[in-house]
Amino acid sequence: MFSFIARRGIGMLVSTFLVITITFILMQLVPGDPAAVMLGANATPEQIEQLRVSWGLDQPMLVQFYHYFTNFFRGNLGESLFHRQPVLHIIGQRAETSILLGLMALLVVVGIGIPGGVLSALKPNSWADNTFLLFALAGASIPSFWLGLMLMTVIAGKLHWLPSSGFTSILATGNLGNLKNLILPAFSLGFVNAALVARTARSSMLDVLQADYITTARAKGLAERMVIVKHALRNASIPIMTVVSFTFASLVSGAVVTENVFALPGVGSLIVQSVLKRDYPVIQGIMMVVAVLYVVINFITDLTYASLDPRIRYQ
Amino acid sequence: MNGRDEAQRERIRDFVSPVVKLLTKRKTTLLAASILVAFLFIAATGPAIAPYDADTLNLSHRLQGPNRTHLLGTDHFGRDILSRALSGTRITLLLGFSISAFALILGLPIGMLCGFYDKFGLIVMRFVDAMMAFPAIILALSLMAILGKPGILNVIIAVGMVWAPRMVRVVYSSTLSLRENTYIEAARALGMKPSRILIRHISINLLSPVIVQATFTFAFSIMEVAALNFLGVGIPPYIASWGGMMNEGRTYITRAPWIILFPGLFLAMAVLSFNLLGDALRDRLDPKLRRVM
Repeated sequence: MFSFIARRGIGMLVSTFLVITITFILMQLVPGDPAAVMLGANATPEQIEQLRVSWGLDQPMLVQFYHYFTNFFRGNLGESLFHRQPVLHIIGQRAETSILLGLMALLVVVGIGIPGGVLSALKPNSWADNTFLLFALAGASIPSFWLGLMLMTVIAGKLHWLPSSGFTSILATGNLGNLKNLILPAFSLGFVNAALVARTARSSMLDVLQADYITTARAKGLAERMVIVKHALRNASIPIMTVVSFTFASLVSGAVVTENVFALPGVGSLIVQSVLKRDYPVIQGIMMVVAVLYVVINFITDLTYASLDPRIRYQ
Repeated sequence: MNGRDEAQRERIRDFVSPVVKLLTKRKTTLLAASILVAFLFIAATGPAIAPYDADTLNLSHRLQGPNRTHLLGTDHFGRDILSRALSGTRITLLLGFSISAFALILGLPIGMLCGFYDKFGLIVMRFVDAMMAFPAIILALSLMAILGKPGILNVIIAVGMVWAPRMVRVVYSSTLSLRENTYIEAARALGMKPSRILIRHISINLLSPVIVQATFTFAFSIMEVAALNFLGVGIPPYIASWGGMMNEGRTYITRAPWIILFPGLFLAMAVLSFNLLGDALRDRLDPKLRRVM
């Protein structure tokens, strides 16, 4: 197990390095001089030159890259052109909303996707299974922001069951009731991804249920529930886990638009605002934070695989 | 000469009969194909079948619900929703096609070379995997910011760059397994040049996975383009697009939900039909792919 963790750990570091490199390369492609952009139209050439020197923009590319890289690990992601605050600080302020939204959406994904897929696999080709598949297929084809807007119109607008938009920090106010504001966004975001998980859960359960050891388990008189939960589900869980871990990226993508729809003060709406304002330091900060988070989550998923299925450790 | 004709006919039959079988075997596939044909027809005829001009303002008809004169209602400028949705079809399909082509043109050669040359593959695939660590919309948004102005070409590049690495992955893993085949070994033993092996033997056999992946790329990319347009960073707002229409309708969502409802339905139908077609093609062309995609 130790050598497995070590190998995957090195892989994770390489990926982190490459993610930072790619962000650096992309930001070199930004048209114009960042110092000139920062100072605005009224700046004199001397002022711009001064700022370029203080940012190290006059140094060779490799030196700049070295500083860029070390700054990332010191938690220095630069300063927003617009807010005049450190990028990491701005992202930190927005993190609570996005993390809560993500976790609640994940709950919807797992809560609907896995039981739905498993139940569907237990009675393949029944009418329940077919209806379920139809829902799953439709779910995967609906844009989450459209579903969000429709839910907002009906449930918040017409029925007034839930608030339609906005969110205030729970950490700051201590009011857990604010979570109500996240129910609609989390559902619209999660439902779309639940469809994908459900399809995978179904097909992987169907595969496993045909295996010899399931027949053996039934033949030795094990209760059907035990067969499903202990023997089938555990072995079907690896592909399901893979899809659930994939949903991280898709949840982040969906959250960008969902936060925008429901006017939530999260990282997703921050990147949209930053793109519209051309606030490049914030854009690159979010790119790096999200991508590194993705790499770390993949690493954790790999470790979970290894604990679920001991064979993986020795590959 | 005759034998050649025969072979040619055989090849055509080999190609056509699975397509026919594919369409008639499952009702859902037939449905998906019919929806696609309808969309293609709309895109081809464009303004000719629309009841009104997509961009003509008619303020006296603003915010009307679906009715006889405006089947799907009107927006805040009195523009006909149906005409605008039909007009958005052409740009959607055009973008979906261009983005899939972009991903293919980048992905096919890179993936093949990575799969064929181990050392090259080792380095490049690391980069490709790292590219995939950026969630799709984050990368597309950032690229739009880097490329500058909203525009059709920029959208193609931004979204294409998101899907090209995924195409590389599919081509790469297929090439890896293809090159283990005995006929590749035989070609090598005969002294065939690697470039010839890649073009004559590998690329032909990559056709199935590539077609399947391109279909899925199409479905995902039109969804992503709609999201970009919805956020106001895609194609310029004066071109009618489904995402853009939904964006404009947000202010009037309680008074006139149809402005958002119908473009969303158009989008969902298009994505659904491409997903169904992708599933059917995958099962038909290469059932093994089920595990990869």
